[in-house]
Amino acid sequence: MKFSSKKTLFIFLFSITLFGQKNIEPTLEDISSAKTLRAKYDKDDIAILESTENISFDLNKAKTKVQVKNSIKELLMNINHRADINKYEFYDSESKIESFSLKYRNQKEAYFPVKDEFYKDDDLFYNDAKVMYMTVDFPVQGYTYNYSLEKKYEDVKYFTSLYFNDEYPVIKKTINITVPNWLNLELKEFNFEAGSIVKTAVPNPANSTTTYTYTVSNMPAFTKEENTPGKSYLYPHILLIAKSFKNKETVTPLFNSTADLYKWYKSLIDMMKDDPNVMKEKVKELTANAKTDEEKIKNIYYWVQDNIRYIAFEDGIAGFKPDESNNVFEKRYGDCKGMANLNKQMLKLAGFDARLTWIGTKHIAYDYSTPSVAVDNHMICTLFYKGKKYFIDGTEKYNSLGEYAERIQGKEVMIENGDDFIIEKIPLSTSEANKEAFTVKLKIDGEKLVGTSHKEFVGESRTQFLDIYQSFQNNDKKETLERYLSKSDKNIEVSAIKTSDLKNRDQKLTLDYNVSVSNKVSGFENEIYVDLEYMNEYKLFDLKDRKTDYQFRYKTDYESNVTLEVPKGYKVTKLPENLSIQEKDFSVQITFQQIGNSIVYKKVFNFKNAVIKVSDITKWNNFNKKLNAIYNQQITLVK
Amino acid sequence: MKIKLLLLFTLICSAIYSQDKNEIREMFWGKSDIYKNETNTPEKWKNESAVVIYKYEYYNYKNSGSSVVYTSAIRKRLKLQDQAAVKEFSEFSFNDKFYSKLGYSHKKGSVFFGVKIIKQNGKEIEVDVEKEAKKLDDEKKIAITNLEIGDILDYYFYSLEPFVATYKTFNAVENTLGDVYPVMNKKISLIAENDFYVNLNSYNGAPKFKEIIGKKKYIKEYVLEAKDIEKNDFPRWFYPFVELPCYKFQIYFARNGGFASYKWADVFLPEEDTYLKQTVSKDDIFKYYKEKYSASGELKPVDVFLKGKKFDSDEDKIRAVYNFARHSFYTQYIEAAIIEDANIFYPFGLFKDEVYLSSQQRFIQYFMLFLKDNKIDYDIVLGTGRENGALEDLLIRENVKVLVRVNTKTPIYLEYFDSFTDAGSFDPSLENTKAYILEIEKNKKITKADFTTLPSTTADDNVTKVVSEVSLNGDFSALNVKRNSSFFGHFKKDEQNEKVKFYDFLDEDYSKYGTERILDRVGSKKKQLQYKKEFDALVNKVKDKNKEAYKKSLSEEFEFEIEDPILKVINTGRFGDKTPLVCEEEFAIKNNLLKKAGSNYIVEIGKILTNQIEIDKKELERKNNVYMPFPRRFENQIVFEIPKGYSVSGIDKLNKNVTNTTGKFTSKAVVKGDKLIIDVVKQYDNYYESNSNWSKIISFLESAYQFSQEKILLKKI
Repeated sequence: MKFSSKKTLFIFLFSITLFGQKNIEPTLEDISSAKTLRAKYDKDDIAILESTENISFDLNKAKTKVQVKNSIKELLMNINHRADINKYEFYDSESKIESFSLKYRNQKEAYFPVKDEFYKDDDLFYNDAKVMYMTVDFPVQGYTYNYSLEKKYEDVKYFTSLYFNDEYPVIKKTINITVPNWLNLELKEFNFEAGSIVKTAVPNPANSTTTYTYTVSNMPAFTKEENTPGKSYLYPHILLIAKSFKNKETVTPLFNSTADLYKWYKSLIDMMKDDPNVMKEKVKELTANAKTDEEKIKNIYYWVQDNIRYIAFEDGIAGFKPDESNNVFEKRYGDCKGMANLNKQMLKLAGFDARLTWIGTKHIAYDYSTPSVAVDNHMICTLFYKGKKYFIDGTEKYNSLGEYAERIQGKEVMIENGDDFIIEKIPLSTSEANKEAFTVKLKIDGEKLVGTSHKEFVGESRTQFLDIYQSFQNNDKKETLERYLSKSDKNIEVSAIKTSDLKNRDQKLTLDYNVSVSNKVSGFENEIYVDLEYMNEYKLFDLKDRKTDYQFRYKTDYESNVTLEVPKGYKVTKLPENLSIQEKDFSVQITFQQIGNSIVYKKVFNFKNAVIKVSDITKWNNFNKKLNAIYNQQITLVK
Repeated sequence: MKIKLLLLFTLICSAIYSQDKNEIREMFWGKSDIYKNETNTPEKWKNESAVVIYKYEYYNYKNSGSSVVYTSAIRKRLKLQDQAAVKEFSEFSFNDKFYSKLGYSHKKGSVFFGVKIIKQNGKEIEVDVEKEAKKLDDEKKIAITNLEIGDILDYYFYSLEPFVATYKTFNAVENTLGDVYPVMNKKISLIAENDFYVNLNSYNGAPKFKEIIGKKKYIKEYVLEAKDIEKNDFPRWFYPFVELPCYKFQIYFARNGGFASYKWADVFLPEEDTYLKQTVSKDDIFKYYKEKYSASGELKPVDVFLKGKKFDSDEDKIRAVYNFARHSFYTQYIEAAIIEDANIFYPFGLFKDEVYLSSQQRFIQYFMLFLKDNKIDYDIVLGTGRENGALEDLLIRENVKVLVRVNTKTPIYLEYFDSFTDAGSFDPSLENTKAYILEIEKNKKITKADFTTLPSTTADDNVTKVVSEVSLNGDFSALNVKRNSSFFGHFKKDEQNEKVKFYDFLDEDYSKYGTERILDRVGSKKKQLQYKKEFDALVNKVKDKNKEAYKKSLSEEFEFEIEDPILKVINTGRFGDKTPLVCEEEFAIKNNLLKKAGSNYIVEIGKILTNQIEIDKKELERKNNVYMPFPRRFENQIVFEIPKGYSVSGIDKLNKNVTNTTGKFTSKAVVKGDKLIIDVVKQYDNYYESNSNWSKIISFLESAYQFSQEKILLKKI
């Protein structure tokens, strides 16, 4: 009996498989189309042949919020030999997925198991984002599936943007946004190149709506490159700004202006119940021996940097509302909002005027002229002191007061000001402010180069150095520093390292050490060949095949000065030629000079805007080839 | 009514849960906690990231009648001495509820987590885990509040895992006493009722487990206590279980005495009426394997294979049968497994009467039957890898590796196969070790166990031979390299795994043995065509990925990027233990190894040898003995084509010779016509070197490294 039921089950399952296999193989046209697409998109496995996205709006039951319905239909095709993907959709406490399915080419349901899990990210301790996904295989080239999704947002403020690009190339995409007449909605277009996206608006008097239709073809996949600008800079998209809605005769404002955005943010911070008493003692302790106000401010700001761990929570409204300062103080951890609030409250306790400040980091293209929650992603604190504003970012480590990380420089901030707000910009700094300099004086000792080295760092180069150095275990720090200075190269021995105070984030950071470099001096008969290039800066910085801007962590100014004493009785036959490039965003000068009995080899790399634009990548790559040619040259000394 | 009952049940459960929770808390942090006031750490460890003041491991095995309850717990009390330690311990995650996979029924297990912080002023703050923890699917995460450098963190995880079973072999536990941080005090406590059979011991100078006699005679408790343990340090070529203080244990549960036999148990059982076993004797080995191993299997496929075939010797016959069996009983299922894994179709229903030797035991039993049937004399050899320590210290049954020794003129050893094993060669970790040998009477019955020593291989057996032909391209912008590599002996396997893929060796096997492929067994022609297309698509995708992986691997070998390399496998080396894997490669080296000096060029010819071991300062001070995988030799010939119009200088430095009792590095360079030919040999002579020989190893390693740095000058004539 047992056996027969198993057998029945087997037959049943097998017949489902057989039934499911009818008319799902790709047609000859599909295969041909897949091959053509793969030739064009040779890094992608999947192409979205057609995508139709419909957006409609409704009022919730209480008529207090505008709901959004987003339905997506896609025709997915495998353009490689085979593809195995996870088809997924995110949702959170403000949205829900109402249907999520995949069908074969013959429109029969493909029953891939659907998993529904929290989205986990190493950078986020906890967030309410969940992901629904299925693991899908496309067994042969040209295989297709029809994907469909129905998703609902409870509040239009969280439905912020629509993109035309996708994880995979999109061959044809249509977005239909049906806006009811009772909703005042602005569709703000970004990065629309002339003629590439066709837009129509068709009013429908029968149901008092207007449908805006956008169509576009041949959109490449979102880049998988690293160190790129945020996608709001790179791709065409629409920002949806719901300004107000009308129910019967009542008009309810939403985000009509930046003031509305601030009003909502303020309503959230007004909900906080800060109890600064718990950190009174700490503030007293930190400021007691401070001789100046600046010292007091630094003591507080640096204490927060050093003692409050960044742990990110994004849980419903907590994604927008800061945690109370007393909680952050007592827990010794918080996210950017909690840290900003703690800085504010501690500075206030010390008698300063400090305020919460919203900001969109460099990753986001927008400014506060757009009233949307998509505009910002970070919070800092602004200190008003003697007519100046100091921006204090508690999430930075080893940041000196008055210096600002590249990720926030030049960005607009919204500073709380009672019922009003202040819009300012974080000051820009120059690459010189982050200068890293390396000096080494060498002489030839047998078959070695020996000498003394000096390194110095300021600004963000110092911040980065200190942050990395201090993250190592105490017992590994010495060894780690040696490995860093020797570039983990067995040929480079460093010794007698002397450093400036490696906890001080205000002063110039210096490292002095002795160096001995093996295998860079080769004697052949009466000649000595010297390879002065043992640091190889930017040698491997080749942006081959890159399609998007390369963004540096910070504006970079690096200078290297290598001096070699020519041994007595030897003369320099020929020095390598100098090399330089001067572009808007970067400049490099490589020079060789003989001064007296020394060869001075100088390199200056300046990436003054922290970017190499995609339009300059060919220039950089051509330069990099020349740089490598210089690095591959040796200096010949003849008796 | 239902709601009321449910409520009552919930309340009862919650009360039990609270009781458990409180008892557990009391167990670790209660009155009996002798470390509760311990906050000081020794001066000698002041620069360590953290110091463990107390580490307690707890294991409890209980038969509660209807189910078995396995409890395991760990408590650590440690001082955080730097920011890295604060970060390391700032978040914890655990599954507070889980389903046990140990028994027949999926019973729910629980994990209790407790954590407290002791501030420098002595104030204790216990974290309210239930309140603070966030749940993400099955996982709970907690961020530890108010954690600072100088704090003491005291935490425990306590796992309660009930399950139903009549007998069960638990996973073995093998650990060093040390931790990633130094440990001031350590305690391991293992409690087991009489239905649990315990294999337990400690080694390499670790304190011994002591039996604590309690009131209840049917409960045994074993305790190990240790102090002042330095943090673990695992240098290159090192076996921790051979040198460092360590402990091992494994538990077997039998619901009643009937299951306390080798018919069921997969551990070495203690003597009758006892429950603890600390050493394994020759007799134990005999008893276990006599029970477990007997000739069995279906010989028909081998008989069909052998029909009409003649062999010069039994040796040849054994080798042929081993290779056939490797295909017929192993590799032919690989294609099916890949097909199933890729969701193409369920292929296993298409196999009829096939034999799949899914375990070492089935393999041994099958060959016992074959050898018996063919009247070929054999023994069974049982050894343990050198990494587990001496044979006398063998305790964990699964650390035994089993071989068949066929007593042909030159004995042939057979080990359980994978895609690349071959008759005559076996796991190098067993070589040159003391082992047990089971004698077989009349090719049938295990009659006796004795000692033997397994044969060794030498550096002559395990050889990598590489010939690299190097020439400059036309405009002197790159070096063109053609490499021919042959891998012999134990070098073969890793290289085969990397370079010979399933689509290569399956084609080889199917073609050699004429076996019907699984896809050819699909009845419907239409389906067959569809599945073949899908399988081909999968193979093409995997080939693309492997091409990338090969490029990455080659680039890592040279430590710079190699573009578009070509690899051809000339011989997979799968037939014959003396047959090498042979590969040919072609690639160009751009932007590296060639430096311009006026009108002359410097070629970093030594780097053609690829990256060599770099001994750093810390390694110079090595205190441990040296454990090599096997004796081995690398033979390299570099043939450099001297470009017309140039002469070569600097070949003197390419001649090196460091030879000692541990191995050697020699290189000899000569110019023959327009070729510079350099013959290089690096050799490790032994499996083991005492620490006193470390400097000798270093001397030839340094010479090899220095060779890799040597250059030649191409001087314009």
